[in-house]
Amino acid sequence: MSVVAMDRQPLVEMQGATKEYRGVPAIRNVDFKLAAGEVHALLGENGAGKSTLTKIMAGVTELTSGTMLLDGCPVSFATPGEALENGIAMVFQETSLVPSMTVAQNLYLGEEKLFNRLRGIYIAAQQFMQSLNFDVDPWADVATLGAAKKQMVEIARAVRQKARVIIFDEPTATLTPEEKRHFFNLVQQLKSRGVAVIFISHALEEALAIGDSISILRDGELVASGPVGDYDRNSIVQAMVGRTLSEELYHSHGEDVTRRPGKKVLSVQNLSMSKVVKNNSFSVYGGQITGIFGLIGSGRTEAAKVISGIYKRDFFHGGEVRLNGKPVRYRTPRRAVKDGIVYVTEDRKIEGFFESMSIADNIHRAAQAANVSSGVFVNYAEVKEMAREWSRKLNIKAINSNARVIELSGGNQQKVVIARALVQKPKVVIFDEPTRGVDVGAIAEIHHLINELADQGIAVVVISSYLPEILNISDRILVSRAGRVVEEFTPEEATEERIMFAAVH
Amino acid sequence: MQQVLRGVSLNQEQMVLAISAVLFVLFSVALESFFQVSNLLSLLQNVSILGILAIGMSVVIIGRGIDLTMVAVMVFSVGWSFSMYLDGMAIGPALALGLLLALAIGAVNGILIAYVEIPAIFATLAMATAISGLGRFALVDTDTLFITQDLGLLGQIGSGRLGAVVPMPVVLFLVLACLAYVGLRFTRYGAFVYAIGDNYMAARNNGIANRPMTVLMYTVSAAIAFAAGLIMTTTVSTVNTKLANSTMVYDIILVVVIGGIGLSGGKGSIRNVLSGTILIGLLLNGMTIMNISYSVQSIIKAVILLAAIIVDSMLNPRDEQTSQQGDI
Repeated sequence: MSVVAMDRQPLVEMQGATKEYRGVPAIRNVDFKLAAGEVHALLGENGAGKSTLTKIMAGVTELTSGTMLLDGCPVSFATPGEALENGIAMVFQETSLVPSMTVAQNLYLGEEKLFNRLRGIYIAAQQFMQSLNFDVDPWADVATLGAAKKQMVEIARAVRQKARVIIFDEPTATLTPEEKRHFFNLVQQLKSRGVAVIFISHALEEALAIGDSISILRDGELVASGPVGDYDRNSIVQAMVGRTLSEELYHSHGEDVTRRPGKKVLSVQNLSMSKVVKNNSFSVYGGQITGIFGLIGSGRTEAAKVISGIYKRDFFHGGEVRLNGKPVRYRTPRRAVKDGIVYVTEDRKIEGFFESMSIADNIHRAAQAANVSSGVFVNYAEVKEMAREWSRKLNIKAINSNARVIELSGGNQQKVVIARALVQKPKVVIFDEPTRGVDVGAIAEIHHLINELADQGIAVVVISSYLPEILNISDRILVSRAGRVVEEFTPEEATEERIMFAAVH
Repeated sequence: MQQVLRGVSLNQEQMVLAISAVLFVLFSVALESFFQVSNLLSLLQNVSILGILAIGMSVVIIGRGIDLTMVAVMVFSVGWSFSMYLDGMAIGPALALGLLLALAIGAVNGILIAYVEIPAIFATLAMATAISGLGRFALVDTDTLFITQDLGLLGQIGSGRLGAVVPMPVVLFLVLACLAYVGLRFTRYGAFVYAIGDNYMAARNNGIANRPMTVLMYTVSAAIAFAAGLIMTTTVSTVNTKLANSTMVYDIILVVVIGGIGLSGGKGSIRNVLSGTILIGLLLNGMTIMNISYSVQSIIKAVILLAAIIVDSMLNPRDEQTSQQGDI
């Protein structure tokens, strides 16, 4: 693997790179080298400075001090456009395509002539896509494409603009396993064209599999860098968190026995909602963790949202939900919360927390909403006390207690969202992707907390598309495909292969 | 410019107060008739109606809405009351009916926005037009109602003076501001308004009764509009229905925005309304003393609004770190 000659002149080099946001350094004194034609994995916990480092290269922000060299010459990009002219492109987590336009229009966005001949664009786009071996229809609207195809379009755009460096920020987070394999092929293709690829990821296995070199950041400093052969899972995790977590992360649940199902708390019969949830039936028991695995689009999130009143099921033949044997039908989440069903969202920024409020206000609003705090007048002593209590229970770390939630790291934001759910004294908690975009240390803490909830007799549902998470945490594993639960496994009989087979076929 | 401004860490509220102080000193020095108790009191009185309306508007804007019906509600609910009074109804029942009308309009606004899910700006724009038309057609049959009878104690609301010095409209403005401050900051309903304005989806998912709260918000702003109308009518003893077709509703938004309440919701407080009201009051008063024509005043107001928004975006730039997806 170490074919990359490290002594050749690097394509991009950072020397003593430091970037401060309002006096707080996001990266400190980082020396980084990227050679042409290498795939460089950039790893680190949330808040370690991975995105900052790449954003500087892509011209999104500028260095506070230090220098950046391109082909040995010092450069500084004021805008992403300038970086692009110099051959550095960045593919963001959220794609930057215009959804209402076709693939071809997106490819040629910004280069339209005064009289724009669409036919010409389509033909050129098709030829270009074929030359890259991308199977994407240039006539298709971008909105109708799946995540992987959107990424292909982004990559095609970067290649078309003669990018020599392409930076991917968590490219595989939203991809299904099949799409991931395709993406890795793309990366190999780019590499063979001599493009240097920087690859930010939380998934260590991916980095080990496709990277040529690895750089690891911790708290804004580069703690390790070198060819991929020098590292394994353990040494990477150790470098990332500065301590050995080894196997504890995904096997903490290993020795204790699978919990016995308690009372049947939630029974779902033939639940249907438009075309996304179809005749979905399953049960959830108290005192254990029901894991639901499903690929994106398998209707697992939607089913959870129907149960918790966020979406409405079909009016006719919508099926039935029973809570403790009593049929319930929620028109708003308010009723569900009152009955003790809470949903912890997979997308905390969009529908999880109040970004301009402090941790304390966030938690207290949830308590008020559930009438746990029922006074007409806000009791600020209670607000403070509640924040202190939950920050201690969930180990939420903030610079100070008045910090806005948006300023916290991903893991701490997620903990706030979880605290907002737990403060409502739920009987059923549905966690949707509870550790998405959460750093390694916080994942272990959140898993520990979920286990504790089940031990207290609460019915816990964990939805995840990450197999190790499902396998580790569940007492019962349900697999969702095409809008319904299709298989059930006990942890003993479940393997990654069997679950994936059920989810795909 | 940006670098210079960043060194000074002022938020918009403090900046507005600073500009107000500068204007105050400037006017006091330059304008002979400005720094007199009588002028300062009339300054406050003139701006208090606008301030009261801005209180109602700010409640709605903090909840990520906007209420363009306020002026129409103010004119026609109170206008209807006094129209019935002039036709011989007792003042008590007449006012009660007017208030009921205002509350009903507010509730309809809220229902259209929360349950029918029409965007607030369209719902209230349509409602404002409907009220103006219907009001002039069915409720008040002249352009201007003159109230010639002595209203007795009720008249004191507009023309009375506290301790024979401070005009009642100013006192009532401050009282309403205090009530709104307490309501927004210290009650659960106020807390929910901020929550809804900050993140509607998160509020809903968390079990806050978003739709009833939205109806409540618009009902409150309509009630405040009725109060403003009552105070204005008893001050000048006339109801001018043409006001409903004026640009007054933009002045209200001007006060709210200059004060520093973001139109995106969830931010700001009644303190911002107070500073916005003071700045606008100073400006209008100074310009009137300087005998600047109404058209020029409009231009100056517009420039100040734009300047406020631009400086705000310079002082509080889009956070590089948090406006981007992904972690640091």
